[in-house]
Amino acid sequence: MTTLRLDGINKFYGAVQVLRNIDLDIAQGEFVSLLGPSGCGKTTTLRCIAGFETVDQGRIFFGSRDMTRAMPEHRDLGMVFQSYALFPHMTVTENLSFGLEVRKIPAADRARRIAAVLEMVRLTGYEKRFPRELSGGQQQRVALARALVIEPSVLLLDEPLANLDASLRDDMRFFIRDLQQRVGITTIYVTHDQSEAMVMSDRIVVMNRGVIEQCGRPREIYERPASQMVAGFIGQSNTVPGHVAGRENGAYLVKTAEGPIRSLGPDGLSGEVQVMIRPENITTDAGAGIPAANMLAGRVVKSVYQGNGCILGIESAGGTAFTTHVSADSPLGAGAAVTIGFDARQAWAIPA
Amino acid sequence: MSGGASSAIAARGGAQRPMWWLILPALVLLVCFLVLPYVSIVVMSFREASTRAVYGDGFTLEHYTSVIADPFIWGIVWRTLRTGLIVTVVTLLLGYPVAYHLARTRSRWASVLYIFVISPLLVGLVVRTFAWLIILSNGGVANNALKWAGLIDRPIQLLNTPVGVTIGLIHVFLPFVILPLLGNLQAINPEVAMAGRSLGASRMKTFFRVTLPLSMPGIQAGSILVFVLSISAYVTPAMLGGSQGRTMAVLVVQYLVDSFRWPAGAALAIFMAAITLSVIAVYLRLTARAMRRLP
Repeated sequence: MTTLRLDGINKFYGAVQVLRNIDLDIAQGEFVSLLGPSGCGKTTTLRCIAGFETVDQGRIFFGSRDMTRAMPEHRDLGMVFQSYALFPHMTVTENLSFGLEVRKIPAADRARRIAAVLEMVRLTGYEKRFPRELSGGQQQRVALARALVIEPSVLLLDEPLANLDASLRDDMRFFIRDLQQRVGITTIYVTHDQSEAMVMSDRIVVMNRGVIEQCGRPREIYERPASQMVAGFIGQSNTVPGHVAGRENGAYLVKTAEGPIRSLGPDGLSGEVQVMIRPENITTDAGAGIPAANMLAGRVVKSVYQGNGCILGIESAGGTAFTTHVSADSPLGAGAAVTIGFDARQAWAIPA
Repeated sequence: MSGGASSAIAARGGAQRPMWWLILPALVLLVCFLVLPYVSIVVMSFREASTRAVYGDGFTLEHYTSVIADPFIWGIVWRTLRTGLIVTVVTLLLGYPVAYHLARTRSRWASVLYIFVISPLLVGLVVRTFAWLIILSNGGVANNALKWAGLIDRPIQLLNTPVGVTIGLIHVFLPFVILPLLGNLQAINPEVAMAGRSLGASRMKTFFRVTLPLSMPGIQAGSILVFVLSISAYVTPAMLGGSQGRTMAVLVVQYLVDSFRWPAGAALAIFMAAITLSVIAVYLRLTARAMRRLP
């Protein structure tokens, strides 16, 4: 069942179009991330949903109700802001109570709901603190609690982890995801951090320059990117340019400077393409190579130790630069001859 | 703790010792031009009156007792405070929306509006008050406009009344309430008001429960500034007030300059300062209560 639907949203700032035909259906209980570089329109999209920006064309539905022109206070949303935006002159309890008082919830119910939510975000005992007396992570959880205590139909999160330390950020990812699963609330999460989107989301919407580049499950986005922008933005990738020469055993045969490469790709692909191979899918061997559908000869140009292994920079015979990961005790050092291999299902061809 | 560590702390403390002599020039200026004159006024207010010198040889409380016993002076005190209060409230009500708009707008006309806001300060006080003299006179722009609009048949007396003084003061002091408020409102995170809306509060409710409490420091600073400036203003009430609109400052100058009653004028000035200080003390206590929850 759809809880939220964006139907052909267009938005302009003066002459600049910041959102272009945004269509999106979000199901009940789904966790959807809007992911993209800064200026891609993800925060604008969120603010249109929240009602803080008006859309120039298109409609926004909550369930079956058209909420395109509704005031923010009538949309029944919980929102967590990047700056947390806690009320600095109110205690934790008063911050949480605000939305309940506006909804005219009786005092006894308010107290019960606030206590329950505070326990959920592990802040029991902090009721009387002011926001300035809390750490960044605690403020973040108060902001989350304040948005959840009103039991909104949709939870909106605007880069909520951007201002936290790296280690805390990793913990909070799982914390937020767990909480979302327990409460079962439909959630839209804006981030520019692809690994955040990857571990938290049911579905990722990759945006770029005001358009949706791709919308899919994290695995689909990572392994089957629809465009070069998506392939480049999500994780690391090696690309080899070429053109489709035909099909062989269900894979495309792509003619490249490295010779023919067997690669999967979307149906109906033809013409110029980029073959993408993720670094972790490349095998390296000092000898004749580990048997694979695609085998390329090359030379190691650099090897960088990074704790859990080494990153190898390899230049192939055809002049393409590849990056791959090997274990720290790999004998391959700079200058060594190497054979790299990958299977057709580990390569993905993208229209160039 | 080891000796090395504690000596390192001592050394750092030494390096950060405040350089007290930096305040010396300001201190000298303050003592010479503020404290000494004040002391001499206080001393003068207790001296006997004299017809031959500025004041006589003996000391007396007579000036204070006659000021306090004089209902005419209390009438002027009351009028001065009332004018100050009205000017403060009206400038706050007029200035708040302007400051709020300036703090939030992203329009390129913001700088033009800003210049409009400070425009009363760009023209000399006397010149500006002359303009009000022309506008507020019986045949002036204000009365003509009201007549044209059909609101009055005969000109209403604005000049030489407290109303004229109030209008003149509001114009002059509007920037003094807008500027502190603007700084305050700009420092408030705009997402806080958005959070109020997202939690279901209307624009109005969010304003009264979130933005307004957070802007109390600006309201306090602006209102104290305007109140103090209004009740001590001289040029505007002297030029627009006549005898009906006379304020304490005008009265003090009349004592000193027109009738040469220096000790009595000094006592009146001290009396006026005491009243101003007590009003501000009460106001600070009241506003401090409203701000005790702010960071």
